[in-house]
Amino acid sequence: MSREVKVCVLFGFGINCDRETAAVFDMVGGTSERLHVNRLVNGERHLSEFDILAVPGGFSFGDHLGSGRLLGNRLRFALREQLQQFVTDGKPVIGICNGFQALVKTGLLPGPHAASMEPDLVQRASLTLNNTGRYEDRWVTLEFDSESPCIWTKGIQRIECPVRHGEGRFVMPTSEELDGLDANHQLTVRYVDPITPVGEGIQDELLSFPISPNGSMRNIAGICDATGLVFGLMPHPEAFYNMWLHPEHTSMSIGDDWEGEGLQIFRNAVEYVLRQR
Amino acid sequence: MGVQVVRVEVTPLQTEGMRDVLGDVIQRQLLADHGIDVGKVRSIRGYLIRSQYSADEIEPRVQDIFSDPIIEFGATNTSLLDDKKYFPTHPTLTVTVGFKPGVTDNPGAAANDGFKILFPEGKSSISTYVSYAFLSLPDDVDHNWLASTLFNGLIERSILTSKDQLESGNAIHLTYPERPIIERQTPSIINLEVHDEELIQLSNDGLLALNLNEMQTIRDHYRDETTRTNRANVGISPDAPTDVELECLAQTWSEHCKHKIFASKIHHIDTETNEDTVIDSLFKTHIMKPTHDMAKDVDWLLSVFHDNSGVIAWNDDWSICMKAETHNSPSALDPYGGAMTGIVGVNRDILGTGLGARPIANTDVFCFGPPDWSGELPSTLFHPSRVLRGVHAGVRVGGNESGIPTINGSIVFDERYIGKPLVYCGTVGLMPRRLADGRESHEKNPTPGDLVYMVGGRVGSDGIHGATFSSLELTDESPSSAVQIGDPITQKKMMDMLLEARDACLITCTTDNGAGGLSSSIGEMAEYTNGCEIDLGKVPLKQEGLSSWEILVSESQERMTVAVAPKDKDAFESLAQLHEVEATHVAMFTDTGYFHVKHGEETVAYLPITFLHDGVPQLELESEWSPPQHVAFAPPADIDQTTLLREMLTRPNIASKETWVRQYDHEVIAQTVVKPFVGVERDGPGDAGLIAPIHGNPQGLVVSCGIAPRYSDIDAGAMVAASIDEAVRNAVCVGVDIDKMAGLDNFCWPDPIESEKTPDGKFKLAQLVRANRELERVCRAYHLPCVSGKDSMKNDYGVWPDKISIPPTMLFSLFGNQPDVRKTATSNFKHHGERIYLVGTTYDELGASEVAFHLRERGDAEGIGGQVPLLEDPERQLNVYRKLSASIQQGLVRTAHDCSEGGLAIAVAEMCIGGRCGAIIDIDGIGHGDAFTRLWSESLGRIVVSVEAQHELAFVEMMEGSDVHLIGMVTESSDLIVEDGYDMIIQADVDELTTAWKGALDMTGAVE
Repeated sequence: MSREVKVCVLFGFGINCDRETAAVFDMVGGTSERLHVNRLVNGERHLSEFDILAVPGGFSFGDHLGSGRLLGNRLRFALREQLQQFVTDGKPVIGICNGFQALVKTGLLPGPHAASMEPDLVQRASLTLNNTGRYEDRWVTLEFDSESPCIWTKGIQRIECPVRHGEGRFVMPTSEELDGLDANHQLTVRYVDPITPVGEGIQDELLSFPISPNGSMRNIAGICDATGLVFGLMPHPEAFYNMWLHPEHTSMSIGDDWEGEGLQIFRNAVEYVLRQR
Repeated sequence: MGVQVVRVEVTPLQTEGMRDVLGDVIQRQLLADHGIDVGKVRSIRGYLIRSQYSADEIEPRVQDIFSDPIIEFGATNTSLLDDKKYFPTHPTLTVTVGFKPGVTDNPGAAANDGFKILFPEGKSSISTYVSYAFLSLPDDVDHNWLASTLFNGLIERSILTSKDQLESGNAIHLTYPERPIIERQTPSIINLEVHDEELIQLSNDGLLALNLNEMQTIRDHYRDETTRTNRANVGISPDAPTDVELECLAQTWSEHCKHKIFASKIHHIDTETNEDTVIDSLFKTHIMKPTHDMAKDVDWLLSVFHDNSGVIAWNDDWSICMKAETHNSPSALDPYGGAMTGIVGVNRDILGTGLGARPIANTDVFCFGPPDWSGELPSTLFHPSRVLRGVHAGVRVGGNESGIPTINGSIVFDERYIGKPLVYCGTVGLMPRRLADGRESHEKNPTPGDLVYMVGGRVGSDGIHGATFSSLELTDESPSSAVQIGDPITQKKMMDMLLEARDACLITCTTDNGAGGLSSSIGEMAEYTNGCEIDLGKVPLKQEGLSSWEILVSESQERMTVAVAPKDKDAFESLAQLHEVEATHVAMFTDTGYFHVKHGEETVAYLPITFLHDGVPQLELESEWSPPQHVAFAPPADIDQTTLLREMLTRPNIASKETWVRQYDHEVIAQTVVKPFVGVERDGPGDAGLIAPIHGNPQGLVVSCGIAPRYSDIDAGAMVAASIDEAVRNAVCVGVDIDKMAGLDNFCWPDPIESEKTPDGKFKLAQLVRANRELERVCRAYHLPCVSGKDSMKNDYGVWPDKISIPPTMLFSLFGNQPDVRKTATSNFKHHGERIYLVGTTYDELGASEVAFHLRERGDAEGIGGQVPLLEDPERQLNVYRKLSASIQQGLVRTAHDCSEGGLAIAVAEMCIGGRCGAIIDIDGIGHGDAFTRLWSESLGRIVVSVEAQHELAFVEMMEGSDVHLIGMVTESSDLIVEDGYDMIIQADVDELTTAWKGALDMTGAVE
């Protein structure tokens, strides 16, 4: 049985976190390939060749007309069948930052409410301008719903990593829809106050800036679909693959293990694929 | 179906939990900048779609393209302001801002890209606008003034709509900005056989920026019999230039491109020492020769001066290059567009180095007028706060959207930068030492017969005369065509494509299209093969009808010129198609010795390569130094140092720039180890940027900078020495490898050529002479080769005697190796009990210090004169740095901070702020002068470090022979206490210091 887990890391049109996203999958045993979106569109390559799909961060199409929207359209209109098949085949998908925005606007996230339903590519939520009106790069503290079906976040309680966005405020039209996702444990990851005890940080009440960097409803940082295979988040776990990337590493006693807290997310997906074989 | 224009308007929904953030931002900024609360503001984005599709066809797909179904509402061919559901009451005033015809409209281009996916038939284009609706504007706010804060008339148009107009149904709407049709002018022949006055008139009228001697040299070229015969043979006017040739020579010979002042012969007199000498080229004497001498001692200098950036070997597999540029004049006219083209332009310098390097880090250093300036302002200049906002936004968008982290920079304030802001943009690049076919990637290797492509954007009338314009002083008549707006996404696509082409070994030569356009880019590359032939008729245009000379010299952005061997033509073109990048074969390399330009079949320019590149006559200039006289700085005797410390922390030159800098992505690529902000709250100042660019590999690269323009008031030589030393100190603070550092010198000077306009030109040139001499002395001592640089020599506004000249300014940027990023240091104090040491000696050097300027501005001191910081023994200094860097690399020191503006007092305060902890220090015995001097003097060579008790002995042993003073200890208390022997002179609460330091430049308004 092959141990190779092939990861498709999309790039082109202003995606710009493709190199580090490819690198972190390689660090946890994956075999990544940076693939231009158009190589899939023109039929030269096919998503079915891959085990995992990653849509990295960046500024696809300059984020004009709303972040991730035009890339989302390219995926929705030009790669519709390939994407639906990929998800129906039970293969993990991650969207980070601009990639998350694209998956939400494509409608892959949050997707239909039941895991048994096929992805319909209908937009149900959005990511909009931060309440501050500013793009910012700052580190945040994240806590994960331990009961989430998300295969990417298994066993992870709390991590730090940077956010780098101007349009990261997660919104849905009604609180009932948010309740529905919450009941499914699809509100996978939230911004939390770092002074709270680990495991007790998640709250629905809005946290103040900059603990929540954008004013997201219920402090949502990322969500998964009902199957737990498709996951998207605004923060950048790939940007904390090594301890030397932590803003306070010069104050810490680190010893020999320099792995960063962000890497486990990518390892989870690679191991998931191997377990399914 | 004919072509029609359909209007789509989009506004954020106002349902529960939804907000109109753009409107909120406008409200907050007007409050922050002008103290005026304009009340609730709502926003509308508008799209004018010019295509063959009707409103009925477009309307059902509006939610698929223009509006987000969850958060926005989109209307087709109706005005949202009249829609009672979304605007229940008519706004008091609505300001609608759109682009002028021909100005780059990035949202429009992106929208059209999306539009074409669903509406692929025929040609389409989209123009965008934004409406700001002021729902309840107070009566006393002037409508025209308000509108003027929201748009720049140079590039944008606006419409004001009053409540009355809406109520009476008389509102006017912006229409699609049609470009006036222009007709191509056939090249004209310029008669140069005229009087000298007419030659000068020709140069002035044509914005050629050529002097009489240069005009005569051109005239003489056409008198030569061989020239005439050769020209007749190709069918071009034998005895007079075409306008294409004259424009081409003007661009190539411009100060901007040829650096004529740095290359000039200078007669230098020093009235202090009675020196009377001639210097044949400051550049060759003081910059190039020292670097070439140093190159004999090291094996890592791969490419210096001749390419778009300087390249060093970083390790066996990778090389690093760096370049910094300025974009001052365009940023004065349009801060946003000017600065954005600055940053994306210098990115292209990296992409155009060797066979192409990948930009991996940006640096930005800005010099502005005081943001709270309330004095007089010439009507054609923007207020410094608007320049700051615009430049910042341009660089933020340019850098962030390109996916290049901004890891280091600075903002400097001085009144004289009101006349001309300085916008320095630097970029670091990474490239493999060798390509798959074995070629070294830092070397270009074109051969005659190679095809030359223009890749990326198209050519338009924007950006004509940028190079010559920046070689003139700014006046009311400065042309708007010199301003452009960058398009980072077009460039990003081009960058992705060209790096893939490089790795597929498809490129033989490449350079960027910046100043001088194709004329410069192809012209410079043609030197490699000794000739080229261009067909301007093949160049894709944004707008039909451009004349030959316009196509040749236009500086339209996002273009690279790339040479490809004929066998690789198909592979190169299909790669371009994949990336949706336009690549057009426009020229071919030859070995004819001629720069041969055709437009279709007609030869429109035929210039010998040697004349084009080496024909410009050397300037001969006069320089005379006599030291400027200043009233000596004397601080008041009874000053309260604690109060002074709090005040100094709010000085714009010292205060935290966090709210600005945090808006730059400084972490994309996942490599930034020492970030711009450090410490427990991640808000202490980072000294230098440190990155680990190869994922998983701890080898680091340091990027730092130094800038000290205030010292030029006393001596521009001291200014340069201080700038270099600051860059080195910052690099040492993160543990740079002292033996592998390279530098960039970027001079920005006021016009130093004596003339009626510049009666003090001799003095300004003498400042330049002294600056260059110090550059050579310090760089040689530090074994720090300059590998690239740039100069901008006309940073003045207006005419004598109302001329505003910038203080002579040199930015020194440094990039160097760092052996292991796991062993580095940051400026914040870490743990109580750590011992605090001051490395270096403090002298009585308060001349032109920040505290002197502060007390003079406050009216508590008469002058700023006195001894300016000197670097008397740089060889000895280098040894101290070597030991300190080694201490950091060995893990003995994890806290280090450079002493610069505001001296020891500010350095220690910032270290407490970063660590949110107290400290007690004693400044007795650290150097010369009284307590005031020892606190505030800006003596060079000083770094404050703190050391854990367990490492103290090893550190002291390591530093043996250096001037190192134990000055105190990090404490658990919340106070910074400074003693001078038995006297306590400062006791300050660190939280209060933090508030003062962080608040002064926070111009964001409230958060919510």
